[in-house]
This record gives sequence, C-alpha cells and structure tokens, in this order.
Amino acid sequence: MSFTVLQAGIQSTLQEAPRRGVRYMGVPASGPADTLSMALANRLVGNAASECALEIPYGMISLKAMTDHIVGIAGAIAAIDVDGQPGLMHRTLKIKAGQTLNIGAPEYGLRVYVAVSGGFAADTFLGNRSTCLPAGFGGLKGRALRKGDVLNTQNGGGGGSAILETPMKMRQVLSHSFALRCVPGPDEGRIPDWEHKQDFKATRRADRIGIEIAGSWPMLKGAGLKASAPVFPGAIQLTPSGTAFVLLPDAQTTGGYPHVLQVALADRHLLGQIRPGDNIRFLKRSAEDVAHDLRLKQTFFKDWLPDLSL
Amino acid sequence: MIECRLFLLGDDAVGVQPADRQLRHALALSLRETCEWVDVVPGKEFIAAQFNPFDIRPSEAIRKMEAWLSTFQEKADSSYAPVELHLDVSNDWAPDLRALAVENNLSEEEFLEKVVQSELVIDMLGFMPGFAYVEGIDGALTGERLAVPRQRVVAGSVGFVSGQLGLYGLSGPGGWPIIGRLRETLFDPAREDPFLLREGQLIRLKLVGV
Repeated sequence: MSFTVLQAGIQSTLQEAPRRGVRYMGVPASGPADTLSMALANRLVGNAASECALEIPYGMISLKAMTDHIVGIAGAIAAIDVDGQPGLMHRTLKIKAGQTLNIGAPEYGLRVYVAVSGGFAADTFLGNRSTCLPAGFGGLKGRALRKGDVLNTQNGGGGGSAILETPMKMRQVLSHSFALRCVPGPDEGRIPDWEHKQDFKATRRADRIGIEIAGSWPMLKGAGLKASAPVFPGAIQLTPSGTAFVLLPDAQTTGGYPHVLQVALADRHLLGQIRPGDNIRFLKRSAEDVAHDLRLKQTFFKDWLPDLSL
Repeated sequence: MIECRLFLLGDDAVGVQPADRQLRHALALSLRETCEWVDVVPGKEFIAAQFNPFDIRPSEAIRKMEAWLSTFQEKADSSYAPVELHLDVSNDWAPDLRALAVENNLSEEEFLEKVVQSELVIDMLGFMPGFAYVEGIDGALTGERLAVPRQRVVAGSVGFVSGQLGLYGLSGPGGWPIIGRLRETLFDPAREDPFLLREGQLIRLKLVGV
C-alpha cells in the first residue's frame, strides 16, 4: 500500500493534528497550515478530519500508485489528472495500481491537500506524525518529500466504494485577497491609535514558520525587543524595521518581537492559502466576537465535518 | 492568593503574569496537571495557557483561571538534579569570544572564567526543541545581539547576551554572539528522553579546549 513520488513539489510534507501539550519544551505545533482543507480532503475518503495527509504548497507533484488507492483532494485550486485523464478536486478519486496522479500549480490559494483512505503512515515524535521541518522529526524522516520517496499508507482505510463530493457551499472560495479577522495582541499598546488599513501584501519570505507581511505598519512606540514571551500560530509580530510576520504552525514557541495582533482562530486556516504577493486586509474584532464567529463557522461545517477542530 | 495579572493573549490564550516570576514554573506545572488547557507555555515574564474558544468563551477562560488561582498552592520543590555540561572553545567554535572579551576589558580566559563561575540556572526552555535560556550570568559582563544574525548556528552552540546564555538545541539561524559549543547533545528526537535539560535545572559549565 504505497505511492512512489515521481515529482516532489516544493516542501511537500505529511501532517496530522498539531502536536499538543509539549510547547513548553520548545516543540512547535506543526500540523496542517490549512486545517479546513485537510479535513475536507480526509472527508472524501472516510477518514477522521485530522488523519495524516499530504500538504503540497505550490502543487506540482506526481505520485505513482503502487496499489489501488482511494484519494481525496482539497485546498488550493489546481488542475488534476490521472494518467492524463482530468480529475476533480472535492470528489472521491479512485486510482489503480500503476496509475500516476498529477497535480498542477494552483492559481488561487497555495496549499493542496491529498488524503488517502486509511491515512499515510509516518514517523512519530511524541506520539504524533506531523512533520516539523525546523526540528526535523515526524512525517517522512522529518523532512519534505523528495523524488523517489515511497509514501506508505495505513491499513484499515474505510471509504468503501462510495464516491463523495464536498457540498458546493463548503468549498473554499479563494482569490488573491484575504480578509482576516484579528484581535489585539498583548503588545497592542506599542501601536496606539492605529487604524487597521488595507494595503498589506504577503512577501516572498513565506514558509511553514511564518509569512512576512509588508505594508503601512506604524512605527513601534518604545524600545524594539521585549523579554521572550510565549507566541502561538496566528500571532502577528511587528519588528523594529517596520515589517511584520504572522506565525504559522512550525513557528517558534517564544519570541521577543512585539506581538501586536492575533489572527482569530476562526480565520487561521486561511493563512495556509496566502501566496506571496496576495493582498491582506485585517478586520479588527473583539475576542468575544471572534469566539462567536468560530462557533458559527464550525456549526456551518458540522453536518459534513462533525469532528472538525479549527 | 498569589498576586497575578491576567489578560487575554489574542482570542485563545490567557496570559498569567505572577508578581513573583520565580512562580512561573510551579504555576505552569500545576496548570498542565489539570489537563484543562491545550498548552501551557512559560515565557520570561508570563505564562500563556491556551484554550479552545469553541469550548469556552474568552471571558469565561479568564474567570476560570481566576478561580483556579485562588486555590493554587505551591507544591514542594520538584526541581531537577544539577547537570554538568562541557563548554568547548577550541577550533573555531567560539567565533565571537574575542570581541566580547575585548568589549568587557578582559582576556578571553578571564571572560570565560566569569561565565563558568556564575550560578547558572535554566530559566526556561522554548523557541525551538532543545533551546534553553540560562540566567545567573555575572551581571558585570555585557554583550549585544549581532547586528546581522547568522544564517546558521550549529547545534550545541552557546550564545551570550547581557545577563543570559542561550543554548542552541538545533542548528539554524541565530542572532546571539557565540562563545563556544557544548559537547553534550541537547536535543535528539531518537533518544528515549529527547530533551537533556529541564526548566529550573542548575547547570555547571566545565571548560574544555582552552
């Protein structure tokens, strides 16, 4: 039960649920950058929402099935084919032994997710299979895929013969602009009287640790660095040089840059789809408001993804 | 009840800042033992306790923390045994030692002596696996972060800035001046206990390769 990687893509990794409970030891969360898309891909093959799947930034991957497989594909919008025959995202896809699944480069969104019935087998670290690239554990030997790698799958994949389709209303609509609901960070006082503006752009400095966001950031009030403090994915840190970073799942656990904003959990999955050059707008909210938004969002997906945890 | 400042850290974590920062680890340990928070992470000044706002509203999370704090009692000291680490300054493993010594009007040997004779303690772990923040350095020694961080600092490297050492558990980018390299492996995911050091642990540095 396996695939051979004919073309590896750029930094493709195996991810499951984030690594919890060990952040105080400096262990990053890891897990999918876009939790929702990974859950949608897993749903198509009858897996749990956070079953180990393949995260593929920029697409451009080819996987040859060594046995028959049932896969589900969601996330960034890319062309798909199996041995040259066009395939569909958001629809259960059967691949026969010897066939090759090809995924093109997405135009909208960044990360494509491929789930396989039963889930991918992977190295575990502290009981979790998510790849942590900066520390080199989990996934496939703690690294991104390479040409020639073999991806083993786990037995016991359900899914059966049912062909499922993601309901239309649950498919993510992706463009080159993102509106992210945000709440104040603990150092919001370092940017007093700042009105959130709209002219922000993701730069090319983007990976699973974070995305640099350029734009009309205010100058920080007071000295540049602070005592190292806990930070989580979604934190927006403003540097003295006037540029900001938003943290993603592989981010460090503590940081000394002022933490001025936090992307709300309800919208954090969108961070995984921001491409270099995409426009970003921040919508200022209160913590209570976004907790309500999170409930609305998870309720919206509940019938299709009962075990979704954003 | 211990004196603490509570605040929201975004929409899914509560910041807990005890007036006595020495209480951070005891608080964090007890909070983890409740199994009611997703992750409990100490920083230099405050702890962050993460929650899922789907399960509990942020205002309720603050109240829950307040209620818990009112029952908190510090347990008997559960600190870890002191550990000896070997600081190797041979080869080119201490690229910034000379500059730091000159800045402090000391010889390299005098600078290192002052470092190793300090009462060193792991103030906290964090940043990346294996990284340790060490406090207790002789307050007379000063040093600043490098103007331009290095693209790659080798695992085991020991960084120095005023008042602190940073022990690098992984190879990667780093902005602290480097004064040597530890012979011990701080983090090894394949080892039964991947982490060599623990928060609150006393360390002794032994110089080698001088």
